[in-house]
Amino acid sequence: MSEFNRQQIGNAVYLTKITDKHFKTNQITVHFYTDFDDDSNLTRADYALAAYLLSDSCWKYSTYSAMSQQLMGLYRASLSSGTNFSPTGARHTYLRADFLDNRFALNGENIESEMCKMLSECILRPNASGSAFDGAATELMRGELIDTITSVINDKSDYARENAAKTAFRGEPQELSANGTREQAENANSETAFTAYRKLLDTAHVEIVCAGCSDFSAAEEEMFQTFFEINRRTIIEIPKTVRSPLKEKPEYVSDTLPMMKQAILRMYFKAPDLTDRFANKMLTLILGGLPTSRFFTNIREKKSLCYYCSSVSTFERKYMTAYAGVEPQNLKKTEKAILKEISDIAERGVINEELETVNRFIQNSLRSVYDTPESLASWYATQLHNDRILTPEQYSEELSRVTSGRIQAAARLYKLDTVYSLSGGDK
Amino acid sequence: MMEKIYSDVIKETCLKYVHKSGVTVYMLPMEGVSTAVAQFTAKFGSQDNEFSVDGGEMVKIPDGTAHYLEHKLFESEEKDAFALFAETGASCNAGTSFDYTQYYFACSDNFSKNLEILLNFVQDPYFTPKNVEKERGIIGQEITMYRDNPSWRVFTNLLEGMYHVNPVRLDIAGTVESIAQITADTLYDCYNAFYNPANMYLCVAGNFDPDEVVRICDERLKDRAPLNIKTANFTEPIAVNNPRITLKMPVAKPIFELGFKRAAASGQAQTDEFIYYNILMDIMFGEMSDFLTDMRIRGLLNTEFSASVFSGRNHNFPFARGESDNPDAVLEEMQKQIRAFKENPPSKQEFNCVKRANYGSLVRDYSSADSIASTLSDSALDGTSPFAVIDTAASAEYGRMLEFLKDLDENNACISIVGDVD
Repeated sequence: MSEFNRQQIGNAVYLTKITDKHFKTNQITVHFYTDFDDDSNLTRADYALAAYLLSDSCWKYSTYSAMSQQLMGLYRASLSSGTNFSPTGARHTYLRADFLDNRFALNGENIESEMCKMLSECILRPNASGSAFDGAATELMRGELIDTITSVINDKSDYARENAAKTAFRGEPQELSANGTREQAENANSETAFTAYRKLLDTAHVEIVCAGCSDFSAAEEEMFQTFFEINRRTIIEIPKTVRSPLKEKPEYVSDTLPMMKQAILRMYFKAPDLTDRFANKMLTLILGGLPTSRFFTNIREKKSLCYYCSSVSTFERKYMTAYAGVEPQNLKKTEKAILKEISDIAERGVINEELETVNRFIQNSLRSVYDTPESLASWYATQLHNDRILTPEQYSEELSRVTSGRIQAAARLYKLDTVYSLSGGDK
Repeated sequence: MMEKIYSDVIKETCLKYVHKSGVTVYMLPMEGVSTAVAQFTAKFGSQDNEFSVDGGEMVKIPDGTAHYLEHKLFESEEKDAFALFAETGASCNAGTSFDYTQYYFACSDNFSKNLEILLNFVQDPYFTPKNVEKERGIIGQEITMYRDNPSWRVFTNLLEGMYHVNPVRLDIAGTVESIAQITADTLYDCYNAFYNPANMYLCVAGNFDPDEVVRICDERLKDRAPLNIKTANFTEPIAVNNPRITLKMPVAKPIFELGFKRAAASGQAQTDEFIYYNILMDIMFGEMSDFLTDMRIRGLLNTEFSASVFSGRNHNFPFARGESDNPDAVLEEMQKQIRAFKENPPSKQEFNCVKRANYGSLVRDYSSADSIASTLSDSALDGTSPFAVIDTAASAEYGRMLEFLKDLDENNACISIVGDVD
């Protein structure tokens, strides 16, 4: 059975250990949470570039190839990093190490100890001198960042999500990609990225989540020493809830991309007064989270309007998204069908059979959280944003208490905010 | 008879037996996990598009039939399979590949009930002209979705360029035109041929009791006389069909996939190809290679680049994918690199480092019920031992790697490019 332990090891630095002896692998993730200081001298791309550089090389392994060689020698351990949004819309920068447990080392290597040291090296002694990252490494990673930013067009769903956000979250941090724009990336340099890196170290709220079969005593010691060496001053407070404001009337945006045959529909609903986290989760699953959901059964199977139709919500920001892949001539019909499903629940609630189905599914899937270090680490990393840290069982228990009336009340709070469609055609 | 197969490398035991119905069953129970995963697979994929039964006439079926059948098998006269799994809370789905169709569930409760549902619905087809017609629109939309996806198009174009006649070159879901010809009778004909128990296997991994699997198989698996199914013979030329295929689509930077064509291998020989070419691709083009460093500095590649082996029934070749403003130059540089390595082979030290890394990756494949069930299914499909891949990786020899290097024809290559290129 898994053991969970969370402790403070520095100024706004917390370390969570989740240990289960039956795992074969370990994962350590250092999460940095900061706000989007878009009005400062630093851009989103500066932070994103800093994150890229942290796992590319470090002082000790000063090229990507040297770093990769070391990781390959440790049974293909991996170091990864990136920047995205936290559930509340704060900047989330992470540095992650994944590695095999020592008991599978063929020649008695201490993989864990080596990986903890590498992680610490990457945080404290990056590939930099003075107050700038290495110029050559910066040049390469800036190219990688530009490629990542521009390649969103390669996946139509990602393209639709990113462009819809410009309207759905206008004036909010989510309006733009966490990686920033191409222009910002082109202007980022080794000094600005280094300043962003220092700001992360000095001011971020830090959560270190370790999950696997190790007892993580080596990681605890290494991370304690790592953050002890940093003079952390003003820590940025990250709020637990940031409401996405509802527009006075829904906005409609039609976008086009050449050569696209299937259209994509994204509808955003907002509920600034929503307070019932668990009713919201049940509503989202019943609408479009399962193969038996209303969207799948009524819109895809019965009406054959689309190939997929699903829903997802972010309680911390009080919004829900419905999205579908549809034939262009069916866009309007699908939009109406989605609205009808939500208003049906707002008017009549849900039936017991739906509640029971979702609860059975939830109980089944939440038990499987315990099966891999990755799923356990992800579970607790998400829970850390809530007022109360819940185990999968406690969460499941809360969901099982949700009634049709509570789901109906949640559905009534949601109002249509933005309708975005992407279909074939010239810009 | 129940066979116990033990891997000294991974320290796991797999149980295997052939049920009296003809279905081959593989089981790997795991301690300390909540989930159990069961995969019920028919050796019937998109490439099986022409077949005969018991020496009868060869029948050609429309492209995309295996995938269509997969969609329709979930339906029944009463409750469909999704509704039945909803009563137990399991998550279920299915997938069609080039060489198989697989139905599966994952659960942490009600394992026995779920296994009964899986075995029942896969053995109980219900195809009517009306329900087959209803699915046509949905599958048509799925085809359209994939055709809008540059990553899928660059991959299917590569297969088209690699092969002249091998049916792996055809899209798994077929085309809107080809699926228009599929009827309930087509589906029954294919079902009766390919879903014969002797052509199927069941793989279970995770939290379950093997005796319970045996009991449920005895109760639920239907006996049917084995059939002699033959798919069309074809002679695939060794040379690639078309060395360069391009497609204009809106992408940020051209994306490419390229392959070095090999004669198809099977069984352990195919596993050897898979392991040794993976090692070679890692040494020559992997993250720690001078090649990738140099190409990144020259701005020809980024870290999206990867190189490995594509492998299945009647097809296997080393391949690479990535994005570049000049994919043709990438292929040229890769060919130069292979020639250079043939002249100055990699050191034993490099070999050992990559061998160890591959072993590490494979141990991870034995970390979850899901990945273990898939590994068992893959080996069942290949007709090899359940631990063939990891055992071969752990015992890989430097000398054999050099033989595979020598045998690689860098000039027999195809590149598929999607983007604003001619």
